[in-house]
Amino acid sequence: MPKTITEQNLRLLVDTLLKEGARVVAPKQAGTMALYEPLKSGDELALGALPRRSAKETFFPLCETILTFEKDKGGVRVNDVDPASFPETVLLCARPCDAAAPSILDAVFSWDYNDEFYLERRRKTTIIGLACTTADDACFCTAVGLSPADTRGSDLFLTPLEGGGYAAQAVTDKGKELLEKRAQFFSDAGSAKPLPPAEPAGESLDLEKIKSWLDNNFENPLWTEIADRCAGCGACAFLCPACHCFDIVDEGTEAKGARRKSWDACGFAKFTNHASGHNPRDMQNKRYRNRIMHKFKYYGDKFGQTLCTGCGRCIRACPVGIDIKAVLDEINSK
Amino acid sequence: MTNTAQQLDTTPLVDTGYYAAVTEAIRAEAARLLTDGTVAAVIGYQAGKRKGTAMPAIITDPARANDLIFSPACVNNLALYLTKAKKDIRKTGKVAIVAKGCDMRALAGLMGESQLKREDVHIIAVACAGVKGSGAATGEPLTTANIAKKCRECTVREPKGADSVAGSLPSLPELSPVEAEELARLEAMTPRERWSFWKEHFSRCVRCLACRSICPFCYCEQCMCDRNRPQAVETSPRPAGNMAWHIVRAMHLSGRCAGCAECERACPMDIPLNLLNRKMAKELKELYGHEAGLEPKEKGPLAEYREDDDQSFIK
Ligand code: SF4
Ligand code: SF4
Ligand code: SF4
Ligand code: SF4
Ligand code: SF4
Repeated sequence: MPKTITEQNLRLLVDTLLKEGARVVAPKQAGTMALYEPLKSGDELALGALPRRSAKETFFPLCETILTFEKDKGGVRVNDVDPASFPETVLLCARPCDAAAPSILDAVFSWDYNDEFYLERRRKTTIIGLACTTADDACFCTAVGLSPADTRGSDLFLTPLEGGGYAAQAVTDKGKELLEKRAQFFSDAGSAKPLPPAEPAGESLDLEKIKSWLDNNFENPLWTEIADRCAGCGACAFLCPACHCFDIVDEGTEAKGARRKSWDACGFAKFTNHASGHNPRDMQNKRYRNRIMHKFKYYGDKFGQTLCTGCGRCIRACPVGIDIKAVLDEINSK
Repeated sequence: MTNTAQQLDTTPLVDTGYYAAVTEAIRAEAARLLTDGTVAAVIGYQAGKRKGTAMPAIITDPARANDLIFSPACVNNLALYLTKAKKDIRKTGKVAIVAKGCDMRALAGLMGESQLKREDVHIIAVACAGVKGSGAATGEPLTTANIAKKCRECTVREPKGADSVAGSLPSLPELSPVEAEELARLEAMTPRERWSFWKEHFSRCVRCLACRSICPFCYCEQCMCDRNRPQAVETSPRPAGNMAWHIVRAMHLSGRCAGCAECERACPMDIPLNLLNRKMAKELKELYGHEAGLEPKEKGPLAEYREDDDQSFIK
């Protein structure tokens, strides 16, 4: 039986989950922008804007401590952070381009090494996706095979209805369980029609064709043409739902400190700087090439997936106007 | 807002003829310079794929001169491309650069710091009506509502000392100086209030360092904030390191910052960095009578040491 939920009940659902000790991460107004942040109450849920940063930080925080150390008489004491202590989480109102990303990232975080920090958060999270009814001229999810109504990666999926409220569709067992366990917030679907999905304007891309061009064009003047203007600022990678590079540093003093993992980006000049001083990606064009290759070739070679969900965040944020969709269109037309 | 106010706000500030004239002049100058071999490359702006957007362009072929444009979306300070940070761009020989007044201040600053020789650049200045601020929708015209904050109180619209000037300035309405007002509001706060204002802003900082990457004056090959042996500033995006980074940044740029506000524009977390820059610039003007980027000067007051400097503050 299809179900619906009113906006008010959605907020009440948040309150109930919070009361039971769960972490609820959802779009919330933070100054001039919306961000996916842990909510303190259902009132905080911001249903309109696309959050500035993606939802990846629900699983892969901007910065997290992975161990602490302390020197004492007996030597150095190391305290691990136990991922079992991570709370049950509901990621609510994730856009389809955000909800799809973790299902793509699972591959890299459980490949030659199981990143328990990421994986444990994944296991403990239920994703409630939300269909988009508006898009701007930077959105291009449809061009990379997703859509404003795509349920990929969501456990439960909400579609806004004419006259308010949402249709709720269980996509996975986790989603079904949530629907059943919280039946009081949902009602049987009435006659309200779903609002039409957004229509991202971007022409579609032939990802196979793009990959085969990339296979053969590691050296190509295109990289210099595009990337000469790249400032290497990393804003694109930091806002991206699919970028997942990180750096690990020890901070504190010799006597006491922490080992922390935080976001990194291939656009940074020092990203591949070796201890020897040699840097294989010494110029910005090599770094920008890596960004495209990683997303549209390497990740495909290794995991059979594209590392871009077409959210357009990198396009909106790039201070020098580099437009990844324009780059892909250009490659696609070759 | 009343309807009339809204109407005022969406009235274009300058008509399209102005942009057409500036664009035309830039194209003609670029074609001439590349054809007669005066310069090896022209750094200007070209249209982006999305309607009403623009991005930096580096052209070497006179046939591409017609790709160059000037529009309210030409926000970048192109002086970035003449710095050591972009040494992959800087061709040997002379380069022409399109520069608005605020960008010219950066060029003057870079010359003063021996990063650039006047004879190595050909400056195509723009008589500038202003550019759009962040948050303005792509495609909409420049209005009193969406103009960049720095442009609301600009003093360098008609640049001096360039090799040529593109366009002529139409008369513009008086604009309220929202940034100066914000600065005054901050200055009126107690230190504790100010501290919490900045603490809150810096708590959003993700340490992408886009502010550093985009700044023409952040050209050091080794930034102390990247060093880990010894580590002066924590690199992880946490309160302590964020605060330290912003203090280092503000101090390092005071007396040098050209006020282009690129750092603030590039910040994906909307941190009002230019307020800090302006505050430092104001202090330097009051204390030392120094203003950055009006003319090439070798050293700003904070980069210079003299035997007779006042040392009474060292306790
Ligand atoms: S590469 Fe850009 S468009 Fe693609 S997912 Fe990342 S931020 Fe979004
Ligand atoms: S946001 Fe733009 S300038 Fe910054 S690293 Fe990405 S492509 Fe380069
Ligand atoms: S600050 Fe002045 S010169 Fe710079 S873009 Fe604005 S109006 Fe033009
Ligand atoms: S650009 Fe903004 S978010 Fe990035 S490091 Fe600078 S202040 Fe922080
Ligand atoms: S600190 Fe900011 S405003 Fe000043 S020159 Fe650098 S980028 Fe421009």
